[in-house]
Amino acid sequence: MSQAGYMNNYLLRSSGVLLFLTLWETAPRLAWLDPYFVPPLSVVVAEIGLLLGTGDLPIHLLVSSWRGVTGLFLALLIALPLGVILGRWLTGLADALDPLLRVLSQVNPFALLPLFLLFFGIGETAKVAVVTWVTLWPILFYTITATRTVDPLQIKSAAALGVTRSQMLCKVILPAAVPTIFIGIRIGASLTFFILIAAEMLGAGSGLGWLVHNSAMNYLIPRIYAGATFIILLGFLLNRFLLYLEKSLFAWQEYPASWTTAGEIRPYVWRPGKGAAIAGAATLSVILILGACEVRKLNQEAMAGAGGSSGHAKHFGTPVESGSGGF
Amino acid sequence: MPTRNIVSPWSLSRWLDRSSILLFFAVWEVAPRCGGLLETFIAPPSVVLITLWELLLSGELYGHVAISLGRAISGFTGAALIALPLGFLLGGNFTTFERIVTPVLRFLGQVNPFSLFPLFILIFGISELSKDAMIFWVCIWPILFNTITGVKGIDPLLVKSARSMGTRLLPLFFNVILPAASPGIFTGLKMGAGSAFFMLIAAEMIGASRGLGWLVWNAQINFQIPKLFAATVVISVLGMILNTLLVTVERHLLGWRDSSPHH
Repeated sequence: MSQAGYMNNYLLRSSGVLLFLTLWETAPRLAWLDPYFVPPLSVVVAEIGLLLGTGDLPIHLLVSSWRGVTGLFLALLIALPLGVILGRWLTGLADALDPLLRVLSQVNPFALLPLFLLFFGIGETAKVAVVTWVTLWPILFYTITATRTVDPLQIKSAAALGVTRSQMLCKVILPAAVPTIFIGIRIGASLTFFILIAAEMLGAGSGLGWLVHNSAMNYLIPRIYAGATFIILLGFLLNRFLLYLEKSLFAWQEYPASWTTAGEIRPYVWRPGKGAAIAGAATLSVILILGACEVRKLNQEAMAGAGGSSGHAKHFGTPVESGSGGF
Repeated sequence: MPTRNIVSPWSLSRWLDRSSILLFFAVWEVAPRCGGLLETFIAPPSVVLITLWELLLSGELYGHVAISLGRAISGFTGAALIALPLGFLLGGNFTTFERIVTPVLRFLGQVNPFSLFPLFILIFGISELSKDAMIFWVCIWPILFNTITGVKGIDPLLVKSARSMGTRLLPLFFNVILPAASPGIFTGLKMGAGSAFFMLIAAEMIGASRGLGWLVWNAQINFQIPKLFAATVVISVLGMILNTLLVTVERHLLGWRDSSPHH
């Protein structure tokens, strides 16, 4: 496609988004919609700016991402070795377990949320456990499939060349399986974000889900929109980023387009190198360490201020009792 | 797939296939009886079954299931009624318009529905409408996108040959376009129904005073362990029945797809 054609296509594709944003701004201003219930875009953006400025939004974001990342790591720790073992060595056991695993993975995770709360209390463990449970299944299933469907020719050639067991695993099976495993991780990560917001709405005292739920309880309407917009943007960016990462990491593979991907070929693909890997690892460890500190601090504050208004939640009016779902 | 159907569902080999599930139930039954912490937190399947029977006899369960299913069906039907015609129009007739709105629609389709739930409650109140709106929102996107993809992916040769044989617009739609797009549409409907049931439970937990989600949540708050397990089992079984039902319907309606060697 020529440069002008590309630009034209881009303009056409973004015009819908622009129209939507313009309507959001003008409709409440011209009183087509009640501005009390639907604040215009500029008000919502200003509210996001305010929340960012006071440091509330970064804290909740950090807490939510800590929960998500911890859950994802735990799921990876369980599902990856289990998947490789079941897919590669204990294939008979994998066949025998398959019906049970399918049934368990089909259980509605929301129905299990009360059970997790029952077992782990309303502390952090319950939220992390829910996230782990949800993320576990896609990673496990994709790992089993990936390690099972490694091209036998590759394995036989490697065996004929006399590789050891560990070399076979690290040099042949894992590289061949990683693209498929990554799909499982991507699906797991988007599910994590999805369920985390719900879990925080139901029983938490911090996090992005709680922010929106609490604003709704206290009729802080611009704040609901600000929180919701932020969550939506974050989810969208996360999804896009993971898809992009998948494309650039495994550029030699081709995937069919689905309705979550635009399905067009990019003119240039960025290949992440060592620097990007270090940056990614650094970001994840910052989230883990700072998040752990923040979660601990918030929980201690909540403990100290039990019954009354808990520390940081003061300026939101009366905090909603966690665990009192249903109005 | 067809060869598996020859084996009777009650034959020994089918039970052997499911031995892991039976083992799971056996462990579930025995573990709480060994005492300790498990005893207070886990209700064994036999107790769960008795609780289920009591809930059935008192008519309580029936009411909650009826309400939940009613919500799911009304939201799903509403979404299908809007998404199917819209998908046909966007996929078939207005392709430039489709290119303009697709980015917006894709974005909306990826929106985390939970972040919108407070807004739905704000706009529609705590009435049934907010739950219906939530289900509607969750269902509409997969149905719409898969219909668009299904209609766009129809082999132009089919439409052109039908046209050249002088088929009128309505027969063309019902005899060519609809059957050719039906696999895509059915995928969308299946995904929509799955996520409808999924979201329904969450929506009922967050803001409802009846329904299966509320039943689970309420049981947890009041520490009624057997009831909690019973409701969880009902939800899981309903979800699985829904899944099996959809797969069966798909096989019956779209069976011709597998049998035809080429199209």
